[in-house]
Amino acid sequence: MAEALIEEWNGQDVTLGEVERELARLRDASSGEGMNPHQRTSVMTHVAWVPQEWLDAAERTLEGLAERHPSRTVILVPCAEDRQARIDAEVSVRCFAIGDRAVCGEVIELRLCGSRADAPASVVLPLVISDLPVFLRWRGEPPFGESQWEQLIDVADRVIVDSSEWSDLRYDALARAFERTAVSDIAWARTRPWRVELAAYWPAIREQEVWIRGPRAEAALLRGWLGARLERAIRHIEPAGELGVRLGGEDLRPPREEAFSPSELLNTELDHFGRDRIYEEALLAVAVEAGV
Amino acid sequence: MIAVEPNPLLEGLQIRRRPEPCVLVIFGASGDLTSRKLMPALYALAFRRLLPDNFAIVGAARSPESDDEFRERMKKAVQEHARDEFQHDVWDELAAGMRYVTLDIADEAGEDNLTKVLREVDHDRGTQRNRVYYFAVPPSAIEILLREIAERRTDEGWVRLIIEKPFGTDLQSARKLNELISESFTEEEIFRIDHYLGKETVQNMLALRFSNGIFEPIWNRQFIDHVQITVAESIGIEGRAGFYEHAGAMRDIFQNHLLQLVAISAMEPPIDFTADSVRNEKVKVLKSLHTPGPKSVVRGQYGRGFIEGEEVSGYREEDGVAPDSLTETYVAAKLYVDNWRWADTPFYVRVGKRLPRRETTIAIQFKRAPHPPFEESAAEWLRPNVLLIHVQPNEGMSLAIGAKVPGQGMAIRTVHMDFLYGSAFREGLPEAYERLILDAMLGDATLFTRADEVEEQWALVDAIRAAWPREKIAFPNYAAGSWGPPSADELLHRDGRSWRRH
Repeated sequence: MAEALIEEWNGQDVTLGEVERELARLRDASSGEGMNPHQRTSVMTHVAWVPQEWLDAAERTLEGLAERHPSRTVILVPCAEDRQARIDAEVSVRCFAIGDRAVCGEVIELRLCGSRADAPASVVLPLVISDLPVFLRWRGEPPFGESQWEQLIDVADRVIVDSSEWSDLRYDALARAFERTAVSDIAWARTRPWRVELAAYWPAIREQEVWIRGPRAEAALLRGWLGARLERAIRHIEPAGELGVRLGGEDLRPPREEAFSPSELLNTELDHFGRDRIYEEALLAVAVEAGV
Repeated sequence: MIAVEPNPLLEGLQIRRRPEPCVLVIFGASGDLTSRKLMPALYALAFRRLLPDNFAIVGAARSPESDDEFRERMKKAVQEHARDEFQHDVWDELAAGMRYVTLDIADEAGEDNLTKVLREVDHDRGTQRNRVYYFAVPPSAIEILLREIAERRTDEGWVRLIIEKPFGTDLQSARKLNELISESFTEEEIFRIDHYLGKETVQNMLALRFSNGIFEPIWNRQFIDHVQITVAESIGIEGRAGFYEHAGAMRDIFQNHLLQLVAISAMEPPIDFTADSVRNEKVKVLKSLHTPGPKSVVRGQYGRGFIEGEEVSGYREEDGVAPDSLTETYVAAKLYVDNWRWADTPFYVRVGKRLPRRETTIAIQFKRAPHPPFEESAAEWLRPNVLLIHVQPNEGMSLAIGAKVPGQGMAIRTVHMDFLYGSAFREGLPEAYERLILDAMLGDATLFTRADEVEEQWALVDAIRAAWPREKIAFPNYAAGSWGPPSADELLHRDGRSWRRH
């Protein structure tokens, strides 16, 4: 794969107008004199809400996205503890040479300091690309009910969380977003190989005893899905590092499908647009049981 | 009857269909196609885990070779030609199911041996007697092999036949072959391959036309001035004189690839994307194609010239070519599609070898703006809008539009808005053979040509060729490295048009 040519700019206490101007300048600078101007190709605006402790992981994941989803990426890093209200920006245009041309993606990393972190939608809206979908990846546990979460889910066409990153599985709170935006959960995506596997045991699985073990979020969602789909309680669950299922007293062989990287999992979620009713049903089943 | 309860666990899973267990038998396994295209495609499918768990490949060819030698040769082919990195575990899994059979088609013992090996493979690999036969062999060998397969066919498992072009050499031979096939196989079991249909850009033509509301309303004679389709190769005949002397550009490219591109450009929207719906619409176009007369077809043959700065031989100087050969290496034609949408809209098409570069494009040239309110000089560099679909290389499309040159005054120039697959999505495009082999294993014939399509293609080609014996022609008539004979330019100049500038 061709290596990225990166043009960068950063500034403190900037306006979004400055950010746009600098992006345009970087795009110009990235193509040599007399050469074809580089293309900006986007299929979406990708917004990521990334608390400082998630920043490294988020950047690694983003590196694998441009293959399938060239986009403008806006990374919002809240730094509310810094009391001075301001936006610091790191802006880069990353171009990948392909023949005599290059395709460029834009990454805008904004640190929202002081009160600027309270109204993130007003920061994002001027930067979204018109007429293309907005995907919001929320790293870590969302502050349900707080302004950042409430504002940004209304900007996004799809919100992607990974509930395995949460200390508390607040699926009831997440479910309240279902009527406002489409929601994906990467923990749910990780259960897919097992869902495909278990579907093959229909109809015998209706009556069989099912034991599920695995990481907390994935195991809960898999159990919620099975319970909702089979319309019966799936009671047995135990913690483990990897998902596993015992059916009718026998351990099933793990599915053949290989494990996907974080970028591949996110890429897959970025291909989906509509609401995932089956996921919503599974999540509600978990939430209801937790409520009981 | 007992109602089958739908599986609630499958809802929402969107499982990609995987082929059923099967054996892929490749006739012509020692050939170039197997090494350069088929094996790399199979490796790419294995790499993405798209092959069935119970799968085997049996190579069959005349040259003697052991299973291990075959595996080793195929391994080198994959290492050299595959688009993915070579992974030993992927290869080992694929190679474990590979066998080789030495097969002289004149000798029935070879067929018996193949049957025996297939039984062993069924036993060892669990392939359930399902067979995909890939005929990467000349047309003369296909007939014999078809009879042998039909004779040995049992009721167990399914059979699918992938047949490479050329399918016959004229309408009569194509009909004969179709009749022979239909004696023992159904049309659903036949997959006549035209690898152009497996290309992403050709499929994208359907996406472009039928998923964008802005194009279809203007995709007709009212808004389109004409269509140009170019299938240009810079290579010569690459040592294939034996084949090419009989085929020429007309049978090699025009009859199949080029006419399929015409059909896809001109077809009506299918009611759905199933094999018969798509092919019904294509065959309607092929049925309505005609060329207005012998003067609307130009033949050419290349002489000496230069390609990329290197002097290359003329066609008649190539090894195995007759010094007075009249085989055409270039064809240009004006075609009409006689229907309501396209009446009087010419489709100018050209195919050729030793042209300046490799390029397959479909150019839709729209009519000029009726009354540009600018001074004539302002728009002197303005050309009509052209939607250009790049089939290969640099897959993608571009739209030529008029735009104001920045600055004082009103000067208008043509600029291109480009969408290149390689630039928009950096993901590698699948090779055509990957898609087509997988579709055949799945039994999906949408991207394969049906018997009536092939026959319509040959009917047009035969009608054009029928006039050739009466024509006196002096070959060679174009230099290697040029865009064909001057008469091809005249073909368009007579209509007040010209080939797209390169």
